Amino acid sequence: MPSVKTAKVCYITGGTAPIKRIMAIAAGKFVCWLSRLSGNQGSSLPGLVARRICPGILVELAAQVHRGVVMITGTNGKTTTGNMIAGVLLAAGYKVINNREGANLITGVTASFVRKSSLWGKIDCDYAVLEVDEASFPGVTAEVRPQIVVLTNFFRDQLDRYWEVDKIVGLINTALQKLPGTRLVLNADDPLAAQFREKTGLSCTFYGLGGFERRSGTGDRVREARFCPFCGAPLVYDNFYYSQLGIYKCSGCPFVRPEAQVEATEIVLGPSSTTSMVVYDHSRVLLTVPAHGLHNLYNALAAFSAGSALKIGIESIVRALENYVPVSGRMEAFIYHGKPVYLNLVKNPAGFNEGLAALLNGKERSKDVLLAINDLDADGRDISWLWDVDFEVLAETGRLSFFCTGRRGEEMALRLKYAGISTDRIGLSRDMRAAIRKALAGTGEKVYLYTTYTALWPARKILSRMAVKGNYDQNLPSLS
Amino acid sequence: MIKICHLYPELLNLYGDRGNIIAFVRRCQWRGVDVTTREANLGDPVDFSDTDFLFLGGGSDREQDLIAGDIKRRRAELRSAIENGLVVLAICGGYQLLGQYYRTGDGRVIPGLGLLDFYTEAGGKRLLGNVVIEVMLDGALVRVYGFENHSGRTFLGETEPLGKVLAGNGNNGCDGWEGARYKNVFCSYLHGPLLPKNAGLTDHLIALALKRRGLDLPLIPLDDRFEKRACKVLQDRLL
Repeated sequence: MPSVKTAKVCYITGGTAPIKRIMAIAAGKFVCWLSRLSGNQGSSLPGLVARRICPGILVELAAQVHRGVVMITGTNGKTTTGNMIAGVLLAAGYKVINNREGANLITGVTASFVRKSSLWGKIDCDYAVLEVDEASFPGVTAEVRPQIVVLTNFFRDQLDRYWEVDKIVGLINTALQKLPGTRLVLNADDPLAAQFREKTGLSCTFYGLGGFERRSGTGDRVREARFCPFCGAPLVYDNFYYSQLGIYKCSGCPFVRPEAQVEATEIVLGPSSTTSMVVYDHSRVLLTVPAHGLHNLYNALAAFSAGSALKIGIESIVRALENYVPVSGRMEAFIYHGKPVYLNLVKNPAGFNEGLAALLNGKERSKDVLLAINDLDADGRDISWLWDVDFEVLAETGRLSFFCTGRRGEEMALRLKYAGISTDRIGLSRDMRAAIRKALAGTGEKVYLYTTYTALWPARKILSRMAVKGNYDQNLPSLS
Repeated sequence: MIKICHLYPELLNLYGDRGNIIAFVRRCQWRGVDVTTREANLGDPVDFSDTDFLFLGGGSDREQDLIAGDIKRRRAELRSAIENGLVVLAICGGYQLLGQYYRTGDGRVIPGLGLLDFYTEAGGKRLLGNVVIEVMLDGALVRVYGFENHSGRTFLGETEPLGKVLAGNGNNGCDGWEGARYKNVFCSYLHGPLLPKNAGLTDHLIALALKRRGLDLPLIPLDDRFEKRACKVLQDRLL
């Protein structure tokens, strides 16, 4: 577990010496500029440099936020949910600081403040919306006090860094015990997130899905919470969406899926949008999120809940969510010679399964699929999680061609072979450019690219040169 | 017909463990060998004498506590099946469970099944990373590739190691041995998972299981180009 360092806070003794603060911010901004210049995303390095010079910099800058801080943590959906919440607040006319690109360690959080700070260390913003890495949550909350904490879900993720889900849940619980008065926004359908009401005693807003019958077959296997987090007895599911998400109750104690204050019903999943009727506070409102999949609906419901907890008008929330633009690599749409191409980041089995569900939907005769798997620190050095992804469901459709690349493309190809996919449908290339070119030039009607974290930017760079950004579905003439 | 039993799949399922079952099943099917897989959870009846391949995976501490009581009740039957040549693969937590005991960081001793002679002690730093070991299979040295992630340090008594560490930590990071082996029981810290990449080891387990059924025939060779390429990545990086 990464050690949690609390900054030696200089503000207790009347604040940092101004010159030190200015140096820290100037150095941070300079590094920012340098890394942009060299074309890197480098979103946490400025924070690292600024913290080296002035360890209390984040405490000082964050204390100036006028209205409050919203933090988002959990395994999947942090970036999307954070950006949706920031979008809701921006649309309501507030000034917002947001670590938009997903640099979510304490250095990345610091960097997002340094970037928005004046050289003299002044911050002018109403809200900070921060996605925070689960293991960094105790360290970040020791320096920045959140008004609202959104817990999205807990799945197995990069076990070599974070080990088991249990440990992460324990870590976040301990941190929350030190934050009385914080409001929690929790996914009611995930027993691992929902348990935090009882665990912390904090006031909560729950969101969830009401009445949805899952059709596709991915995501049925790896469930984290088959057992009650309180008594250890098996959980019984009335309805089941993916991984451990669903309508559950404990067979041994009173723990049950909580009633959701914000609940999506009448859900319709489209190829690049998701429509539902959201029931809240005895009212109903139609919400169309321009992003595919149940996981994105959950993200939107979390943002809806956070927005309403911050007293933003419902119409304003809905409008902001309907104008949401997916960030890089979250089923980001491109067009290659008139054919739609989607780029999707995959980090863990639950997210990968959700991403693969897109391959089973639609009426296309064939699709080309590129899989770029790296095993650097940020990807997780242990790639055994690929064996927990349900590639088996893809073997049943003979309409997919695969191209594997990345530092562990060979392992990906092996996984597909053992999933029962014929080896003559599996291509393998060490050269990512060549692999992407082949996938784009394939005979499929759509192309899907799935990449791990460190493969995302290289893949995106290559793709941007070959294809144009844009959503194919939205370019079609409207029928209505 | 080969009968596989995956013991406690709901509890011991870290690190893509089901990949081991997938590999064993596929390599049987590709050769036309009938195979059935049975998942046995807490309290489910298991007839070890009617099982050909038993698989035990890794789990978190909480999960290992939950199964400790259950597996103890099965000890006598499991022991006699092992003595009669039952083919077993035990990874990580499942491996530790078969030994004498596990000593926790605060000195508490948790007894194991005592079926193999080794013990495990909690260690500080996790031993984590890619591993290559050398294993003797049918008189030939075979390289086996995987990933380890454990804080326990295992020390062997009378029990033989599975192999010699060529890169990585192995059982304890000091003595150069990895895993344990007794009769047809194979224990290892390697996941990744272990069997899909290491086709030679998988086939060895399949051959042992068939032999126990009286089918002592050489296995039909398969096209293992994908397996070899996946291993070569680690070979080039680590050796």
